[in-house]
Amino acid sequence: MGNQSDYEKIEKTAKIRRTAGNIVLYFLLTIWALIVLFPFYWMVLTSVKSYGSYNAEHIPTFFTLSPTLQNYVDAFTTVSLGRYLANTLIFTVITTAIMLVVITLAAFAFARLDFKGKDIAFTLFLSLMMIPNELVVITNFATITNLGLRNTFTGLILPSVTSVFYIYLLRENFAQIPDELYYAAKVDGTSDLRYLRRVMIPICKPTLITIVILKVIECWNSYVWPRLITDDPDYFLVSNGIQEIRENGFGRENIPAMMAAVVVISLPLIILFLIFRKKIMAGVARGGTKG
Amino acid sequence: MEKNNIKGWLYLIPAFLFLGVFMIYPLVDVFVYSFEEGYNSASQTFFGVGTYNYSYVLHDPYFLQAVKNTFILVIITVPLSTGLALLISVGLSSIKPLRELFQTIYFLPYVTNTLAVGLVFMILFKKTAYSDGLVNLLITAFGGKGVDFIGGPYWAKMFVLCFYTIWVVMPFKILILTSALASVNQVYYNAARVDGTSRFRIFRRITIPMISPMIFYLVITGFIGAFKAYSDAVALFGTDLNAAEMNTIVGYVYDMLYGDSGGYPSYASAAAIILFAIVLTITCINLLVSKKHVHY
Amino acid sequence: MSRMRKILLLLLPAVCCLFTLTACHGSRGLDAFVIPEEFDTSRDYEITFWAKNDTNKTQTDIYKKAIADFETLYPNITVNLRLYTDYGKIYNDVITNISTNTTPNVCITYPDHIATYLTGINIVVPLDELFVDEKYGLGGSEVRFDAPSGEEIIPQFLEECSFNEHYYAIPFMRSTEVCYINKTFVEELGYTLPETLTWDFVWEVSEAAMKQDTEGNFLINGQKVMIPFIYKSTDNMMIQMLRQKQAGYSNTEGEIQIFNDTTEELLYTVAEHAKTGAFSTFKISSYPANFLNAGQCIFAIDSTAGATWMGTHAPLSDISKDALVEFETAVMAVPQFDTKKPQMISQGPSVCIFNKADSQEVLASWLFAQYLLTNDVQIAYAETEGYIPVTSKAQLDTDYQDYLSRGGEDNTSHYEVKIKASRLLLDNIGNTFVTPVFNGSASLRDAAGQLIENVTKSVRRKETVDDAYMKKLFDDVTSLYRLDQSKASGTGKAELGKLPGTSVILLSALMVTWGLIILYVGYETVKKKKSSHNNH
Repeated sequence: MGNQSDYEKIEKTAKIRRTAGNIVLYFLLTIWALIVLFPFYWMVLTSVKSYGSYNAEHIPTFFTLSPTLQNYVDAFTTVSLGRYLANTLIFTVITTAIMLVVITLAAFAFARLDFKGKDIAFTLFLSLMMIPNELVVITNFATITNLGLRNTFTGLILPSVTSVFYIYLLRENFAQIPDELYYAAKVDGTSDLRYLRRVMIPICKPTLITIVILKVIECWNSYVWPRLITDDPDYFLVSNGIQEIRENGFGRENIPAMMAAVVVISLPLIILFLIFRKKIMAGVARGGTKG
Repeated sequence: MEKNNIKGWLYLIPAFLFLGVFMIYPLVDVFVYSFEEGYNSASQTFFGVGTYNYSYVLHDPYFLQAVKNTFILVIITVPLSTGLALLISVGLSSIKPLRELFQTIYFLPYVTNTLAVGLVFMILFKKTAYSDGLVNLLITAFGGKGVDFIGGPYWAKMFVLCFYTIWVVMPFKILILTSALASVNQVYYNAARVDGTSRFRIFRRITIPMISPMIFYLVITGFIGAFKAYSDAVALFGTDLNAAEMNTIVGYVYDMLYGDSGGYPSYASAAAIILFAIVLTITCINLLVSKKHVHY
Repeated sequence: MSRMRKILLLLLPAVCCLFTLTACHGSRGLDAFVIPEEFDTSRDYEITFWAKNDTNKTQTDIYKKAIADFETLYPNITVNLRLYTDYGKIYNDVITNISTNTTPNVCITYPDHIATYLTGINIVVPLDELFVDEKYGLGGSEVRFDAPSGEEIIPQFLEECSFNEHYYAIPFMRSTEVCYINKTFVEELGYTLPETLTWDFVWEVSEAAMKQDTEGNFLINGQKVMIPFIYKSTDNMMIQMLRQKQAGYSNTEGEIQIFNDTTEELLYTVAEHAKTGAFSTFKISSYPANFLNAGQCIFAIDSTAGATWMGTHAPLSDISKDALVEFETAVMAVPQFDTKKPQMISQGPSVCIFNKADSQEVLASWLFAQYLLTNDVQIAYAETEGYIPVTSKAQLDTDYQDYLSRGGEDNTSHYEVKIKASRLLLDNIGNTFVTPVFNGSASLRDAAGQLIENVTKSVRRKETVDDAYMKKLFDDVTSLYRLDQSKASGTGKAELGKLPGTSVILLSALMVTWGLIILYVGYETVKKKKSSHNNH
């Protein structure tokens, strides 16, 4: 009988400790969530404040008594934001498609095939990751201009296709697929390419989806390169558009309209993330034959 | 595995082509520029060939200031953000309800344009003639003394930069770590629990080694990314970073390319090569360490 | 060993290839421009025009109309417009495009910038011959519009566009800096505005306006914010003060004379008044217009090209209507040290033409540039802000004279403050000056402004401003803008001296780390070899 009550007591203290721990945990998580959310709240808030009242505030206010959608209208009319969105869409889709092909082949080669100079090549690739974008930009500018590709989609796309970052990520993932699968396929007489298509890609689909999403986000927000090689407004991307609004909106800085543009631009990405969230989570986990 | 030399290189050709033209060629170009002394974009002439560029850059107080800033940024943000991401991921993995909500919220910063968000941060932290800024209001509410984070003392500016950088890199790290944690096989945990191991011990001896590849991936890429910091500083302090004493090495390179006396690609290249050397060293160290500590 | 050698053999030619490709740095420039005999009207030309406008939308419309009118006169020329609001950005973009031969055809520029463009060979077209060409020169016989002749361009403005005895640009618009004053407040403080503003007067009134009541409200305006004296462009502030005191700034050989005792004195005065909060700058506090219009500033110094933003009834405004305060705006020349010899800076955009391989294209660009000097464009643009046209033809035109006489009729195109500003410049053309232009003068100008900005910032942060501070400031600014470089780039490398401490630490840390890494890797390989040896 004594043992029973002892046991209950232990269980109770364990439970209290656990709930206390959970409460603290939730509290801390909520704090970080608030820190993350607050700037977004501020952005949306600013985008519904009218231009005059935004500039009139001396002390930033947390709310507005007269929200307006005028800024959204302005964002689309002062610059052709719709056109920029279309351009960005084309740019993103094509770049991501080409990138997928290139990095899948490369990651497969590094992870699965064995060939002379593999380690050196991989170290070379890794070291390329360390080159900051600002560095290669000036030479690429000269190259693209000399090829006559200023103000074209080709000029925008080509330098943005590869990123060693994703090759590395995909390779890590490919490497975690056990050798047994490969040997089994080889015994069956499957070619490497077939193995890649039929086995590895489906298993690593989550990672591929993650990489696609990350690349899409990168293309959507890219600024330095498009700004450098396009001066024809027909080829501007959304990031140029935001800068334009910021500088020329109403003559001077039009921050509310800029925030409105940013909200509009971020929406597609947020929706994309919401839809594919589970796949993205699974994508960076270990694949293979576990569990 | 048999040697598939030709096939291996064949698969690599597309990647090599793109990287060759748009990364390796510029790298060599930059390397050559760094030895053409004092090359000026407007006049398109240079003095001669030699190491004057490196000498110039290493004597430039603004380069050294940029090096100092970048190192401080790296040393503070990489361990902090990785550690914080680890804690948050562990926290997320141990709760069931609301987990997805939190995950979605935490990923938001990755999706938005950093220039825009940086602007918001600047507005929140800046002291103007009219108001002290939101953050200062909070500080004074708690009884402290307000400080101008954007135009004030060095430590305040560094604080804002580090805070913003951590804020921006967290989503990706949390994403990677939560997925890594989720994929650890339950079998190990069950076995350990049967043995009666404490939670802390489980964390140290099972969880961490199991996700060590991912942690190292984050550390390596974290270091590399932090050394390349530039747009975050611009978003907060505007384009005149030298005057604000908040320049980073990449910012210095960029400023040199578009200087007021007609760009100097030579000095920019020398600075860039120095940066490359630094990052290469640190990555090598990281790789060597990871060989010892990472379990596949 | 053979594998290593094979790899090296493969790499070597690849690297050599790359080296030869990149060794094409530096170019021989273009051939000099020669005016063609005939303008070939059978061909079509497409020229690019990079224009700068202020934050005033009417100006973009004027550019577009000018282009449309020009294209009607010359149907075979198409002009592509690219707009900028910042001189610095045009400058950066032109420099980037010089190396790829994609400079614009016609470009709005500043004399300081042209000095840098001129360091390349035949990049900018010298205009002397084009001016006097019979057919296509100023007012030439084949020009299809009513262009001004050479004599009809105000000589002083034309001179500002010449370097080394040649003309490389034509002036487009001219402006200057003026002081916009809240006259009501000045009189409420018990002062009357003198004929010519002096620095002493401005400082005195500013300090007088700083009185507050017990709750921190300023007595003069009853608000919590008052910065009596705000200067928009601190570089002009320093340049004009030095000029008025006839102290050193620079000379045409590119000698930097700005670091002298007068500069130090001036900076001490600025520090004194920044300390009490009586003085601030645009970079620290934001647009003077916003403060002036809200009754939070008394002396706002800005360009005449910003006149439409100044005053209670300004046509362009950034602040909300209920923040506006009613007052009388006076427009006066910038403060002077010597009232008998006023000096004010001459500013404003000029137009330059870039050389191309096709001389017909250059001729087409020249025709367009000339079109910008016609009365239609000059008068229309000058009326958007406090500019004045650069041709006597436009200045004496009846429409323009009529416009000038109708100041105060309305608060849009005849806005009183704007017309007052224009008239002030017209009356003072003889008192304007420009600074010497050389490769690096743009940096020197920025440095001048930075001196004042840094002093003001430091004072606000409660740092002590003394001789040691001044010396450090001078050193910092010299290296920030590489002022010791501009001489060196002409003659060659500069003497650098000893490597500073941080560099030594950096380099030695790198070398030591690599030494350790190599040792470690070597140790590991030896260990591996030994253990595999032992396993046999």
